[in-house]
Amino acid sequence: MSAGTYLQPASVDDALRLLAEHDGAALVAGGTDLVVGTRQGKRTLPETLVAIHRLPGLDGIAEDGGALAIGALATHDAIERSELVRGRWTALADASAIVGSPATRHVGTLGGNLANASPAMETGAPLAVLGAEVALRSAAGSRTVAVGELWAGPGRTTAAPGEMITGVRVPAPAEGSGSAYVRLEYRRSMEIAVVGAAALVTLAGDGTVADARVALTAVAPTIVRSPAAEESLRGGRPTPEAIASAAAAVHDAASPISDVRGSDAYRTAMIEVIARRAIDVAARRAGGEAVPVPATMTVGGTR
Amino acid sequence: MATAAQKKFIRPDGKDKVTGLGRYTADLTMTGMLHACFRYADHAHARIRSIDASRARALPGVFCVLTQDDVPDVRYGPFVEDRTLFARDVVRYEGEVVAAVAATTPEIASEAAALIDVDYEPLPVVSDVEAALRDGATLIHEGWSGYSASEDVVREGNDASRSTIVKGDVEAALASADAVVKERYVADMSHAVPIEPHAAIAQWQGDRVTVWSSTQVPYIARSGVATTLQIPEGHVRIIVPHLGGGFGGKCEFHYEAHVAALARATDRPVRLVFSRSEEFIAPDHRREGQVIELETGVMKDGTLVARRGRLILDNGAYSADAPFFPQLAAMHAVGPYRIPNVSVDASLAYTNTTPSGSVRAPTAPQACWAVEQHMDSVAAAIGMDPVELRRRNILKEGDTTATNQVLEPIGAAETLERAVELIAYGRELPEDEAIGVGCGWWPSFGGPSGAFVKLNGDGSGTIITGAQECGTGAVMALPILVAEELGMRPEDFSILAQDTDAGGWDAGASGSQTTFNNGRAVIEAAREVRAQLLELAEEELEASREDIELVDGVARVKGSPTKSVPITTLAETAQGDRLLLGKGSGSPPLTPDVDASGCTGRLGMETFAAPTFITHAVRVRVDRETGVCRVLEVAASHDCGVILNPVGAEGQVEGGVVMGIGMATLEGSIVGDDGRQRNPHLLDYKLQTAADAPPISIAFVDAPSPYGGPKGSKGTGEPPCVPTPGAIGNAIAQVTGARVHRLPMTPERVWAASHGVDA
Repeated sequence: MSAGTYLQPASVDDALRLLAEHDGAALVAGGTDLVVGTRQGKRTLPETLVAIHRLPGLDGIAEDGGALAIGALATHDAIERSELVRGRWTALADASAIVGSPATRHVGTLGGNLANASPAMETGAPLAVLGAEVALRSAAGSRTVAVGELWAGPGRTTAAPGEMITGVRVPAPAEGSGSAYVRLEYRRSMEIAVVGAAALVTLAGDGTVADARVALTAVAPTIVRSPAAEESLRGGRPTPEAIASAAAAVHDAASPISDVRGSDAYRTAMIEVIARRAIDVAARRAGGEAVPVPATMTVGGTR
Repeated sequence: MATAAQKKFIRPDGKDKVTGLGRYTADLTMTGMLHACFRYADHAHARIRSIDASRARALPGVFCVLTQDDVPDVRYGPFVEDRTLFARDVVRYEGEVVAAVAATTPEIASEAAALIDVDYEPLPVVSDVEAALRDGATLIHEGWSGYSASEDVVREGNDASRSTIVKGDVEAALASADAVVKERYVADMSHAVPIEPHAAIAQWQGDRVTVWSSTQVPYIARSGVATTLQIPEGHVRIIVPHLGGGFGGKCEFHYEAHVAALARATDRPVRLVFSRSEEFIAPDHRREGQVIELETGVMKDGTLVARRGRLILDNGAYSADAPFFPQLAAMHAVGPYRIPNVSVDASLAYTNTTPSGSVRAPTAPQACWAVEQHMDSVAAAIGMDPVELRRRNILKEGDTTATNQVLEPIGAAETLERAVELIAYGRELPEDEAIGVGCGWWPSFGGPSGAFVKLNGDGSGTIITGAQECGTGAVMALPILVAEELGMRPEDFSILAQDTDAGGWDAGASGSQTTFNNGRAVIEAAREVRAQLLELAEEELEASREDIELVDGVARVKGSPTKSVPITTLAETAQGDRLLLGKGSGSPPLTPDVDASGCTGRLGMETFAAPTFITHAVRVRVDRETGVCRVLEVAASHDCGVILNPVGAEGQVEGGVVMGIGMATLEGSIVGDDGRQRNPHLLDYKLQTAADAPPISIAFVDAPSPYGGPKGSKGTGEPPCVPTPGAIGNAIAQVTGARVHRLPMTPERVWAASHGVDA
């Protein structure tokens, strides 16, 4: 396993110039998808690697005018530990805390997770329900896309060749909101989602659901929202029955496949269970209950 | 009880291993070294029409490409000689080696391997053991009847080895039983998964070759190289650097000869290092799948009266050491219970999958998983508590086994009582938790083994042994045993091991036999040194040797502790003109005679010599909605005779329990109809992680065996992974009310069983 050329630019501008100059060049930060995938024989390394893991200023996690601004190089570990993220964008902390292993989380980055565009990615569903926008830059300029517009299919994004994810901006959830991400996992570490779900629940002053968003992991070619589940929750109280009924509506968005991790029938049954747990935790957090991060370790029969 | 020295002596190779300083085979580099890569079969079953390596040979950096045409035409195999180094005419599984390349870099070698043009005529793939044994099934080995084989192997067609145990009259006993329970279980293939994949380096000097190899069995590897390359055994030297585990996956002779042949053809050292996926598909030592049908007759009072069993084990495409598995599995199908009427029939079916071989307690965890769940089903049929059913039938001293072995003093019943006591069986639990119990047994394997012990001039010692350290703790147990004989500290001894030119022959790190057999050898060697020391001390202390003892690093006159001389002084004195050197092998312990006239396919397993008995009790939480199980607590009680090295024995139990949890819940290969493994990597072949490991409490039952190893000890390495899957299955069934008949009991299978879904 070796790449022809390894380049380490000193600035984002340098990185973008190198990307533009070298045909088939690819960015590498933590390498937890690129290198591992190559070792598994899923892909060959690109001819040219542009290593950005040491670029300054891209690993920030900060509040910016009420929104959360995260640099593309922020590691899962840093996000998981951030009190800011845990406090208000909790679903993202739930997800970052269970990516791979401790080693993966220390080198793996949010930007890399988004760019890898795996339908089983952990951070995608939380960012989708939180309404995140992704900042892209190329030698030609900058643009912003809603996170849901970034993914084009398994392993594919809408980013143009030469474009680089520089960061993510997540708006402040409305007052009375809680969010959560839960995945179905077979073991306690080094795991990948069999299915997963994120939920954001915003409660009105009278305890009814003012807004709800639900996104699903590993049941479609990309992370997908479930409009039917969201609609089902809005306007009612988040009772166990209402949450179960909303979870039963996620099948509108789920089209799971059979693979070595589970059959389509099992995934179909499980996405409902996991979505119900995610909505439940989000609603409890919206109501002020401190459900510990990561929620996956907290709920269900495998707590 | 453990002595203070035993408690504080920590394995001397531990620090190197955990800090990354340890040098494994893949870390070694030789001047001018080339890199090897294999071309594997492109089909699980196909006839080779032609092999054209011209494009590969033309690639710059490629030094040679070898096929079966380039090595002696020798068939080999420990029981049935059914294989060759490279595929000859037919490929029979996806990991079969068709050709090998040596090149200047691993990348070039890999590219060249892909450039070899192999023209195949695909043949029907047999991946199911029951289909393999049906009339008219495609023969995996058309020429099987012409293969040389051990005369004791009963074989026909795709059945590579058949064994039966018959005792009493099963038909009559089943007919008169109060209840009869019949069940069928299926276990998938799984793997040893050592943390270090296979690696080997070969270097020739003249007509002699040295191979550094990650083998568990260096002497068997030496024989393999000599046999397949047709050179004298004395021209082959095998050295094993640090070994990163094996669990049986590195038993038998594997790739040493391929690498040696490449090195000879290129006049260069050649190194082969496996990737993780190669580690799954290629080596002929995966844990075999089984189909297990059991039928048991029981009386209302819990007395077991009959057991009928039909087992089919998956041999894979070639016979490694698996031909003795049917008899071993048949013994496990009876289990550690008194059953007067038994009829078990076990077969070993050839299929187009990766060959099976010994993996830690071969056949036992799968067979025991079925039998122990079956025991709970039998208990349910008569409304009896499952522990009580075991209590009434478990083997005791003086009992006769299904093969008419009369048992010596054993601690089987005690392990049951201690395990249920440790886990507080019968207590109130949350509704999603339950305690499951499983019992098992396992034989010890006595055999020849050799060692030398020498004392150096500075008073330190060296143990030169043929024993192989694969993580099981020989590096701890051997110094402890030698130090005890010589009144020294275990820390005083280094070990020169794993070099076939230095140590005495040993069967290797297999069959839980290292301390059992090599322990005996080092004790005997140490006793020779002890005699030499006493002779020196007689002169120094002017006392007769009967009055001298070796204690705390000195030789002293009994009763007069002030009259002493340090052993270091004796060693220094001896350096001038005497060699403080002992040798040992010792006679292997006796094996009890049995009248196994009711057995066929006898390959030595009709006797369970110095048997170990095990009970594991597990507390499991089941997420009913998802089928995900979590083992919360394990109590493990073992009768493995006298414990010689408590730290090592506890480590074996802990590791074995966690391995058993993995086998129970997640570890299994998914094989397609094309005979290929679908999950040959660690993301989807899921091992247990440290985060999954539950608290494990351990109770050893001291039952010294007259047929045992040193001091009445028994084998300790393999038994801990035997009963865990069965115990977990029982806990799952108690929570969900639905038994899982397929191993591993994955979340989806648990969910499907409890929701009445086919999966």
